[in-house]
Parts: sequence; C-alpha cells; structure tokens
Amino acid sequence: MMNKQTALQKRYDVLIIGSGVVGSALARELSRYQLNVAVLEKELDVCTETSGRNSGVIHAGFNNKPGSLMAKFCVEGCLGYDVVADELDIPFSRTGKLVVGFDDEDRKKLQALKEAGEQNGVPGLEIVESDVIRDKAPAILGEMALYSPMTGITNPFLYTVALAENAVQNGVSLWLNHEVTAIEQVDDGYQVQTTQGVFESRWVINCAGLFADRVARMVGIDDYTIYPCRGEYLVLDKELGSQLPLPAYPVPNIREGGLGIHLTPTTDGNILVGPSTDYIDEHTDYGTTRSILDLLMREGRKIFPPLNPSAVIRTFAGVRPKLVSRTTGGYADFVIEHRPETRHFINMVGLESPGLTAAVPIARNVISIIGEYEDLRENPSFNPCREGILSFKDQTPERQESLIHENPDYGVVVCRCEGITQAEILAAIRNPLGVTTLSGIKNRSRAMMGRCQGGYCQIRIAELIMAEQNRSEESVMLARKGSRTFVGKVRPS
Amino acid sequence: MTTQNRSVIIIGGGPAGLAAAAALRQQGVEDILILEREHDLGGILRQCIHDGFGLTRFKEALSGPEYAARFVDTVQQAGIEVMTDITVTELHADRTVVATARSGRYVFKAQAVILAMGCRERTRGAIQIPGSRPAGVYTAGIAQAYMNLKNIMIGRSAVILGSGDIGLIMARRLTLEGASVKGVFEIQPYPSGLPRNITQCLDDYDIPLFLSHTVTAIHGTKRLTGVTVSQVDSSFRPIPDTEKEWTCDTLILSVGLIPENELSKMAGVLLDPRTKGPRVDEHYQTSVAGIFAAGNVLHVHDLVDFVSLEAERLAESVGDYLKQAPADEEAVPVEADPELAYTVPQLVRADRDLTVSCRVRRPLNRVRISIWQNDQKHVTRRFRRAIPAEMIHLTVPKEKLVPGEPLKVVVEHE
Amino acid sequence: MNKTLTCVICPNGCQLIVDYEGVTIQSVEGALCSKGNQYAEQEILDPKRNIASSVRVTGGKAPLVSVRLTGPIPKKKIFDVMAEIRALSVAAPVEIGQVLITDVSGLGQDVIATKRIDRI
Repeated sequence: MMNKQTALQKRYDVLIIGSGVVGSALARELSRYQLNVAVLEKELDVCTETSGRNSGVIHAGFNNKPGSLMAKFCVEGCLGYDVVADELDIPFSRTGKLVVGFDDEDRKKLQALKEAGEQNGVPGLEIVESDVIRDKAPAILGEMALYSPMTGITNPFLYTVALAENAVQNGVSLWLNHEVTAIEQVDDGYQVQTTQGVFESRWVINCAGLFADRVARMVGIDDYTIYPCRGEYLVLDKELGSQLPLPAYPVPNIREGGLGIHLTPTTDGNILVGPSTDYIDEHTDYGTTRSILDLLMREGRKIFPPLNPSAVIRTFAGVRPKLVSRTTGGYADFVIEHRPETRHFINMVGLESPGLTAAVPIARNVISIIGEYEDLRENPSFNPCREGILSFKDQTPERQESLIHENPDYGVVVCRCEGITQAEILAAIRNPLGVTTLSGIKNRSRAMMGRCQGGYCQIRIAELIMAEQNRSEESVMLARKGSRTFVGKVRPS
Repeated sequence: MTTQNRSVIIIGGGPAGLAAAAALRQQGVEDILILEREHDLGGILRQCIHDGFGLTRFKEALSGPEYAARFVDTVQQAGIEVMTDITVTELHADRTVVATARSGRYVFKAQAVILAMGCRERTRGAIQIPGSRPAGVYTAGIAQAYMNLKNIMIGRSAVILGSGDIGLIMARRLTLEGASVKGVFEIQPYPSGLPRNITQCLDDYDIPLFLSHTVTAIHGTKRLTGVTVSQVDSSFRPIPDTEKEWTCDTLILSVGLIPENELSKMAGVLLDPRTKGPRVDEHYQTSVAGIFAAGNVLHVHDLVDFVSLEAERLAESVGDYLKQAPADEEAVPVEADPELAYTVPQLVRADRDLTVSCRVRRPLNRVRISIWQNDQKHVTRRFRRAIPAEMIHLTVPKEKLVPGEPLKVVVEHE
Repeated sequence: MNKTLTCVICPNGCQLIVDYEGVTIQSVEGALCSKGNQYAEQEILDPKRNIASSVRVTGGKAPLVSVRLTGPIPKKKIFDVMAEIRALSVAAPVEIGQVLITDVSGLGQDVIATKRIDRI
C-alpha cells in the first residue's frame, strides 16, 4: 500500500515512463500542446538502453509485415525524417540501402521483399544487378540486390538527446534517476511511485522499452512478457568507412546457416558490423562474447572482403525488447493500446526495430488517442527547432578562425582523433538536460569515439567535468549510478 | 590568416623533438619552431617518474622528468622558439602545417618538417576483449597519467593484462600506492618487458606473472567486478575449460603501443606495416620530400637515450637538407631476416654513416646478427640472448657502404 | 640454499645461480663479469632498490611533484619510506633535485624532487 502522505508530490497531465527514443519523441510531440508533461527516467541520462545501441538506420519499411503498425509507422517515419532531422539539427543521410543476394533463391526472396515494401507504400524499390552494386558500393559482393533509395542513416543517440532537449526547451520536465516502482489507479488518473518521490498524473504512457512488461504489470496488465534478445556489433575504423557508402545487408540464407550480418556506415564515417541475435536472460546484459564477435567477422567478410580484425576499434551490444520467445521466433507487431480497465494508461510494449524510425509517428498516434478524450490546445510558443553542438572541424578555415576569436576554447583540441575542441566538450558538459556522466558527454560531443578510444582526451574530459561541476574524483560516473571512474586522490589533501 | 614561412617545424616537444631541435641549433640552424600540444615540454617523459633514463647518455639513473629537463633547459637556453598548447590539425605533402591554439588558427609552410608525435596505446576495443563495459578499465599509460600527473587514484585492486614495461611499471606504482595487484597476464610464452622490470616490479612484490594467459571476459555493469582469465595455446586461442575468475575493480591494459601517424598519413607519408611508422632512409626522411621522422612515431623505443641519438642523427640530415636538397640518389631496400620484426631505416642511400635499429620477433639464444651487402659482411654482433623488448643497433661507417646495393640484416643461430 | 636471479646491471641479463647458506654465499654461477657476482651477493644478502613516487604540493601549478631517492635502500624498507613520502606536503615552488626528506627512514638516502613545479 503506497503512502499517500509522501512529500514531494508532483502533479502532471501526462507522465511518460522512459526516455528512450519513443518516450522522448512523445515528450516533444506533447509539448506542442498546452499540457503539463513530465518524463521519468530510471538512469542518469536519456537513451541508455535500446535506443542508443542499434545500427542507426532509418528503415524504408519493406521488412515489415503489410498491414502491421510496424509497417505503417515505419514508412511514415522514414518519409518524414528529413524534416525532423533538420529541425533538431542532427545528422541524417538518405544513403539508400542494398539487400544483396547471390542466387535464384535469393532473387525470389528479394522480389518478395520488394512486393511487401510496395504494399506498405515504400517508394522507389527496385531489383538491381551486380553492375549497379559495383557502382554504388564497389567493395560489396553480390550478384543482385534490392535497392531501397529511401533508407537512411542517423545518429540514434543524438536523435534521442535532441528530442529530449527540444521537449525540455518547450516546457517538459525530465526527471533523471527516477525509477518507477509502483503505479496506483486513483480518481483522476494515477499515482506513480518512484525511487525519488511520488508523482500524480491524469495520463501515464508506458515507454519503458526493455521493462515495459514490468511497468504494464504495475497496473495489472500481465499479458505480456519481454524476451530480451541481444545483438552484438563490431565498430570499424573510419579508414574502412570510405569503402561503404550505404548500408548493405545480405538476404538471410537459411541453407548457409548464417545470420545475414549487416554492414552499416554511421554518420561519423565508421562502419557497424552486426547485429547478431541471441536470446538472453538478463535484460541489460550488454556483454559481448568471443564466439559472436568471431562470427561477425567471418560473416561480414562474406559480403565485405575488406573487413579484418585490425579495423575494429570497439565492440558493443544492444538488447531488443522482443515480444516473441526464442521458440516462437520472428516478430510480433508493436503493442500500442488503451484499455477501458486502465483508462488513461497508454501501454506500449515490444517497440523493437523499426522503433527508431517509427518514433515520431508512434508518438503522434499516442496523442491522437489522448485527443479522443480531451481537447488538445496548441502551445503557441512551441518551437520545433533545437540547436546541436557546433562541430568545429566541419567549419571552413575562415569560420574556424572567427570561432576561435570569439571563444578561445575552440582553439583547444581535446579529442585528437575526432578533432573535437574544448568549446564543444564544455557545451556537452553544460547540456540542457543536466547530464553529468562521462558517457553522456562522450555521446554528445563525439569525443572518445575515435580510434584511440579516449586515450588522449579522457583525462582532459574528466578534468573539465570535475572543474565545471565542482565535483570530486569519486563522484565522476562513467554511465550508470555506481559506475565510479575513480576511487579518490593519490594524495588526499 | 597569413601563412608563415619557416625553415624547420618540429611537431612534438617530447624527447625526440627536443633532441632534434637542440642538435639543429648546434649545427647553426636558426629558424626552428617546436609545436607542442601540452602546456609543458617533455612528452611522455613527464609521467614516467621511475628511474632508468639516461643510463647510457648521462651515466646516471634519472627519472623521466629529469631526463626531459636536461633537453628542455638546452632548448630554452638556446632560445629555440616553442609554442605550447597548440595542436597540429593538418599536415600536407607540400609541408604546410595547420595548427590551432587559443590564440587562433595558424598556417605554416616549412622547408623541413620533423615528425616527433610519439605513440598511442592499443585499446580494449582493438583487441576485442568480450564482456561488459564497466568503469575501471584503463590502458597503462592513462592510469600512469592519472596517478602521476593528476593526483587521481583509479582503483584499489587490479589485474594487469600484458607484461610490457608500462604494465610492469604500473604494477609497482599501484602497489606502492596501496592498491593490490593480483596478477599480470601475458599472452606470449615469455614476458614482453625488460628482465629488470620483472624483478623490480613483480618479484619484489610477489605479484604473480602468468605466461600464455589472457583476459577472455570483463564483468561488472557499473564498476568492474572481475575478469575471466584463460590459458592460451600456441596460436593464442583460449584453451577451453581453463577459465578462472579473478575479482578486481581495475583492469590495466598494457597490450601494445602504436606510433601516432594520423598527420603523417594525411600528408601521404608511406608507413611500414611492420613498425606502423613511416618508411625512412638513413636520413630519417620519409617518402615525402622534406618530411622526417624520429622517436616513437617512427618505431616504438624502449630506451629514451636511443631516441635522443636517433633524433640527433636526424638533425644532422635535416641540417644538410636545408643547405641543399640532396641529389635523388637511389635508395635501396634493407632486407630483414625473418627472425627480425623490422628494421629502421627501411631504405639506404649509403651516403652517410648508417645505424640500423631492429628487434627480434621472439627471444633467441646465442645468435649473431650481421649486416651484409652482397658477399661483404659489414658488421656483426653476438648476443647470448636477444629479446623483443630490447632494440638492437648495428652501425656501419659510410666508407664501407656501397651505394645501390641492397642491404641484408641476417640472423644466424650458433 | 639455491636461488636463480636475473642480473639487472647491464642488458646481458645473465641468469645467476646462487648457492648460499644463511649469510654466506658459497658460489655464483653464470655471471659474465664480476659486477654480476657483486650483484648476486647484494641481492641475496641485502637486496636494495630505488623507488619513485609523488609528493603532495600546495600552491603549485600541479598537485604532485614526482620524487625519487638519491640511491637504493634496502628492499624491506620500501614501505617505511613510502609512509614518510605519503605523509609529506611541500609548498611550491619546487626545483629539480630539491631535497624533500633528508636521510629518509635513517637509511642514508634523501628523497629528491625530480620535476620543477612553479607557484600558481
């Protein structure tokens, strides 16, 4: 039984649980209206789980079952992404994509994908031959391919951060380090208990991703189980990046027994190899494994021969919040529901790929549900535009000179590999969401992501964090609560 | 921004850059500019507080900072121009150097550029250690910088992967500062570092060294909680069922140094895949005219005394180069015996005294290493034991050398 | 008693096999020179080491100054010396070679600064 007398009660119109890409997109969409909105996030930053650990692909929608929500929202999200990326000042490149095949069986599969895509309303799909593959991506092997001109690549972390920052800019409250522990239905909505106080709200939206089934259970919806399914990745050096101008995926060939390992360029010029597919027990077990890393290398080389171990600069993993078990296999469609028993609780479960692409259409769908129950008045001061951190190294020499003149911190190169200056690091440290972790600053500034992996700049960034935030050595966190980077001073004062 | 024309620009104010500058000034070269990205000169020596530097050059056992100070003093007393807190961001084949500092963006055009940028460390990502990504995983050089320069203690109980000198030095350093070092794991069947460091950093403190072992997984979701260590076979693959769990809050990686050649590549300088540094002739000139290299950027050294000597030899050549660019004499390759990992230089013009530096690939007992040209043996040296950790130098005076004839460095077992 | 050591005097790194009883060295085998014999004796009877560490600096441009000893001290006294180093604090400026602890732990060696630290 929750203590209704707990201090720190905050009242909102809408409470969003989870600040991944969908929660953040929803926060932004809601801030277009005159509503009191808050986001509850259990970690120390937005985008800590699935949303930041994926290929960053904006999918065209031909991989999704016709008639499904996945298909509908994916196509919509893909078509509208240029506008959003522009408003939010985040990287996006509509590179197109090749799904390559080698034999007649593959050709039939590609044809089927094309037809499904066309049914879903995906424009421009065509089957091309090897000469076109050689033209678009000379290093890729393949006899024929499905070419999808609408597919693109983005930076999923910066996207989520930008959505959240724009939402906060427009009046949304973001409560980091607030994990939801219980939800109780009350007269005019819900009382939400967190690790740092109680909140009240008329609407509660479940965007809890990997933990969406747990949150649903808090209001008595126990129909769903999330089956965590891990995907590991290799990140390749930028030097190889120039050899892959667009994502290239092989048609999964069941006869060969391979996984069909994807190759995806990133907006920074690296290449991602992966993801693999492994059902695991713990939802946030991001440990990579020797056998899978070796598999990625072997499989990746089948369509991208330049791939070799010395090109790897790091590895990482993401976990899919799947609604289907290992035995069932395949996909279940997005669950986006509003049940009469749990009025004003919008339940979203199983938002795995293409969740990133579909985030804004999903958010708008949620709002249309809310709109059936109340009048939504527009927020006249809503500003869809958010400015990111200016990238010094991408400016012209003249602009660089004037930037340094205005702010000498632009003249101090902190991350040698990526050319990131102190001004950009400080802007990342002074981020609008108040995030203080090393990873948070790394992801916002792109520092430490180069081939030396922070070898030169990590120390400088740690010093800047401690100085800016006036914090001691023991309180510098890498990413999660308790991820202490240092234990103290060598010589305490 | 106006382009400044300079005679010599030295990129890096560590031991190689400093020695080159001092030697150039001694030869009468006036216009020298050192560009250093840190606030202080000295390079990596600033954080190498242990002794063992200067044993051959000064006949003293100095610490890194003391060794550096000798050269910094020379440079300062000679009035050689130094810019600190400036980062070179571009280097071009026409020897244009672009750099940024708080005071603005600078463009220089140099007659000669000396690459002295040193090296960086191989990372966890590069060797793909599986497992989670908690706080508490550090390369040895970073750990050293935090502890020695920034007064930051990085952990309390450590495991070290790699028995190279930096890892061994850090084993001692951590122990002296009250941390517990549980063990050092080395993937090779022999230690990578110098025998004196095995004695003084491990044996002295009863820190066990496990050869033919490696870390196969990292554990912990927030801060490191431990690592899995496995034995490896002769192909360095983990042997199944040999996994042991080691509890620790810190993993130190000492798994290799890589010459820092981003700028070199930008300028089109050709690199030797064996050293990961520029291919040079005995003048230390790279494949790009007027661009020279010495020190760790050229090949990773074990004794700084030798870095200084190498930089001084480079300076002699740069001095000559400035006076008149040498005629394009044919450079012939230096062929390295399969037992050798590499040689520096990789090419020879035979127009000055030659010093060849090399390393054996694996420990060898009772070997003779010689330089041959055709049937002429120019120089030979015997080694009771030659190990990869110790760089080997062989000198041949100019008079003995025949221009146009390939050189062979041969290893013979006795 | 029998012990094998690697001599650290020069790069030859001779493997020395030492036979000894209590404080008497009976034989040293494997040394290519007499320094090796001397080293073996020292190592068995009273091993000595130099150490390097850091001392807290107040009012300086850096928080620590690197230090070393002027000469080796008995290995078994290393942590006594470390305790004295740890307890010390010096005010900037500090010069290279400056004696920070004279005759540390009564072992006949000084702790000297190996870096110059200017005042802020």
